[in-house]
Amino acid sequence: MSGTFLGIGDYAVSNEADSVLKTYLGSCVAVILLDPITRTVGMVHIALPDSSLDPSKKELLPGYFADSGIAVLFNKMKEYGFSEKSHKLIVKLVGGASVMSQCDVFNIGLRNVEAAKSILKSMGLHISSEDVGEKYSRSVAIEVDTGKVTVSSPGRGQWDI
Amino acid sequence: MNKKLVNKEIMIAIKSAPLLSPSVYDIIRKIAEPDHSLADVVKIVKHDSALTARLLRVVNSAAFATLDPVNSVDRAISLLGERMVVGLAISESTGNLFHKPLEGYDGKKGDLWSHDLIVAYATRKIAGLAKINIDPELAFTGGLLHDIGKAIISDFLKGTAEELLQSIDKGHVDDYASAEKNFLGVNHQAVGYELAMNWNLPESIQQMILHHHSPAESDDEFKPYVYAVHLGDIISMMSGFGTGTDIMQYNLDQGYEEYFNLKFESIASVMLEIKDKCKRVIGVEDCM
Repeated sequence: MSGTFLGIGDYAVSNEADSVLKTYLGSCVAVILLDPITRTVGMVHIALPDSSLDPSKKELLPGYFADSGIAVLFNKMKEYGFSEKSHKLIVKLVGGASVMSQCDVFNIGLRNVEAAKSILKSMGLHISSEDVGEKYSRSVAIEVDTGKVTVSSPGRGQWDI
Repeated sequence: MNKKLVNKEIMIAIKSAPLLSPSVYDIIRKIAEPDHSLADVVKIVKHDSALTARLLRVVNSAAFATLDPVNSVDRAISLLGERMVVGLAISESTGNLFHKPLEGYDGKKGDLWSHDLIVAYATRKIAGLAKINIDPELAFTGGLLHDIGKAIISDFLKGTAEELLQSIDKGHVDDYASAEKNFLGVNHQAVGYELAMNWNLPESIQQMILHHHSPAESDDEFKPYVYAVHLGDIISMMSGFGTGTDIMQYNLDQGYEEYFNLKFESIASVMLEIKDKCKRVIGVEDCM
């Protein structure tokens, strides 16, 4: 089985049955799109909620921000055969951990989750399952063949969502 | 567990750790002097043939590809920057210490060095956001060395991750450092501090190592530096770069507000700095 690792701000789409998409997340958020008809999987690793924070970076690395990242991933899914007219995507959301503090300035995890949810809603995409927030980091792996999304956290085991 | 016996074994491990080479020691001491210059660092490197060879190898590698081969120490250091010289010198002279798997944290080989480099770059960026003047190179070096205690204490924490995390989740302790102390009688900051004293590192760096999770307890003179490392560490973990099971299991001390005027945008800029430095400079393949 071949694995594709997504770093911060990366996105990838695959329809190769033997491949796995992986990433790890602190306050970052992974938006996962699954197309059950074309058996295509896409994921984007979002670090910040809004590309207005650094417009030049948006051009180079659209996946870094929730607004540009979700849009670019959605378009990529279309290139792989997804059609809005025929069916709906399965959407999953993982990550967005909080720092152990009440400090709002540092609560980027929550902002990322809120931004991702708001953008998905505006695009008419319904989140079917999520594992977000809390105060621990996560790794996420998606099997393209089965669409199984497995989340793990160091010292806390692993679970499917 | 007999904590006294374990503490004795930890002290033996500290004493057995590789000693810094004289040139590395000199470079760190020099960087801690406020009025040092790049020429001072060049002078020290020129007297260490192994370090010179290493710097030339790195500067001529693909990551720093230049049009013409670089053959002089002066040009190599001006291209790499003082901070890369410090990093390479420390990495070169401490054997396996920074590069071994951190089994006590379920961390794999290379995690500690990657985390330390990322914290160093984040800390340097944060130093530039301080309300007062902070030497960015000294802050970088403190970031690089802040977690060195984990290389020693990790061997004594094998198989404890689940228990330590549960003690935090159940509210028995505040953070992972307290969980370590509860379990072993000592935490990674204190072990790192012992090692830093053993290496005779400058007091500023000792303080950054000892108090990076409790910056309010550091000496007033060094507080801006200690808070810079504290913030660099937190933001690196937020970006997903830790050393294993303890990632994001430390409290943020809001006392930083006295020294840094951080807004959401500035934290975002530090995260972007981490992204920029990740693969190109640090060589973490997982970054991009």
